[in-house]
Amino acid sequence: MIYVVRRALATLFFLIVFGPVLLASNADTEQNSAPIDVMGKVTDHDYFELIFGAKVYLPRMFYSGGEWYFFRDTYSALDSGEFVRGEEGGIVRADTGESIAFDLSITSHLIYLWLSLILTVFITFMAGRKYKKGIGRDSEPKGALLNIFETLFVFIRDQIAKEFMPKDKYEKFVPFLFTIFMCIAFMNLFGLLPWAAAATANLTVTATLAIITFLVTQLNGTKDHWKHVFVFPGVPKWALIILTPVEILGLFTKPFALAIRLFANMLSGKIMIVCILGLIFVFTELFGAAIGVTSGVFWVLLTVALYFLKALVALIQAYVFTLLSSVFIGMAIEEHNHDHEDSSVANAKDVALQNH
Amino acid sequence: MHYFLNGNALLSFDTGFGFWVFFTTIVFLWAMNKWLVPPIMSALKEREDRIRESLETAEKALAEAEKISRNNEKALKDAEITAQKIRKEALEDAEKVRNERIEKATQDAEKLLENARLKIEQEKKSALNELRNHVAELAVQSATIIIKSELDKEKSRHLVDSFIKDLSKKN
Repeated sequence: MIYVVRRALATLFFLIVFGPVLLASNADTEQNSAPIDVMGKVTDHDYFELIFGAKVYLPRMFYSGGEWYFFRDTYSALDSGEFVRGEEGGIVRADTGESIAFDLSITSHLIYLWLSLILTVFITFMAGRKYKKGIGRDSEPKGALLNIFETLFVFIRDQIAKEFMPKDKYEKFVPFLFTIFMCIAFMNLFGLLPWAAAATANLTVTATLAIITFLVTQLNGTKDHWKHVFVFPGVPKWALIILTPVEILGLFTKPFALAIRLFANMLSGKIMIVCILGLIFVFTELFGAAIGVTSGVFWVLLTVALYFLKALVALIQAYVFTLLSSVFIGMAIEEHNHDHEDSSVANAKDVALQNH
Repeated sequence: MHYFLNGNALLSFDTGFGFWVFFTTIVFLWAMNKWLVPPIMSALKEREDRIRESLETAEKALAEAEKISRNNEKALKDAEITAQKIRKEALEDAEKVRNERIEKATQDAEKLLENARLKIEQEKKSALNELRNHVAELAVQSATIIIKSELDKEKSRHLVDSFIKDLSKKN
């Protein structure tokens, strides 16, 4: 038994190590370009890469020139003769040469987003089933997985939702915050797999998530929230000329910051790792194979250190996104007490009153 | 520059892909919000409420028990004090009764003595009276004898005197 497992592990190791090497040599002969495609590791693709470098091409569907087109993959689209590869690598119409207006193709990042969402839903569903059975409801949670789930869930509920939202309203937003947190965390952690990509390293994904946060924030905003945007109470009328545009701008900068922060963090992590590993090739080219390979030990160690950092950042960024979403929603749904002019002074007064 | 201008570029927003992300995320969020999370929330809340309640109940019961034990101690102390008081009172009463009895007995004895004395006095008085009457009778008898015997005056006087002298000696 042990022998079989060891044999299987050895084979797996062999495949993992030599698969990419063989692919890289193929790529070298094909494109005659840089040994490692740094940007290709982070950008979106029309194929889904499996563990040994095998590629599964994904279906394309798009709307172009008043018509819907469906193809099994990019190659069948090219084979159809209606589309050709554009100068920048994308697909353009063969007849007019214009790019595709509305591209609904399934891409690798979309697959990772779906996987993350499905995992989140699956985990929640499994946990929910246990809770329905009574484990965790009538007794303590049993089993490591349920305990981990509950730790995360209670953390989101108590440390993120309850902390920054009014006590009577926070429960409504726990599902949203939990889903966002789990989904982003899964997407970030997928990025740690060498052959996979972090969907959060795509600005479209982070921006869309930020838009959803923005919509949730604004749709649940109270009258006070809008009052503070347009007629800031306790401020002279002429100051509104400056304050109102700033406040309106503030509505949009918040989700913008959310999107950019997550995107930049996840993108930089992957690029850093690929670049540091790429230094092996750079050194080989500059100083010869001997120095390149010897220095490789150092670069690999550095990569390992960066990997741990990335694992940490993956969870931290998911936490930060959820936390800031909670803060923004909390600010919008807060009911301000208008008996007091200045809230901080009022708070101090309340504290002083309570102490007496 | 290639990655910033391309439709599939790093810093561009891809509308179709964005639509997919938005649509699927909203659907999953809706499902989580509608079906998956609420039972977990309610289960956790139920459990927490129950734990809080049982803690509160236990605390209340403990306070109650402490109160009861304190009351018991107080009652015990009170009972002891009362018992001591009762004992003391009983002792005092007994002393009082004893004293009263003794006093009464003394009084009775004194009364008896007084009565006896009074009786003796009376007896004495009546005896004296009797004696006086007797003497008077004797005197009358002697006088009768004197008259009968017709003795001279001198002799009779002498007789009477000697008689009376004898009488007083007798007494």
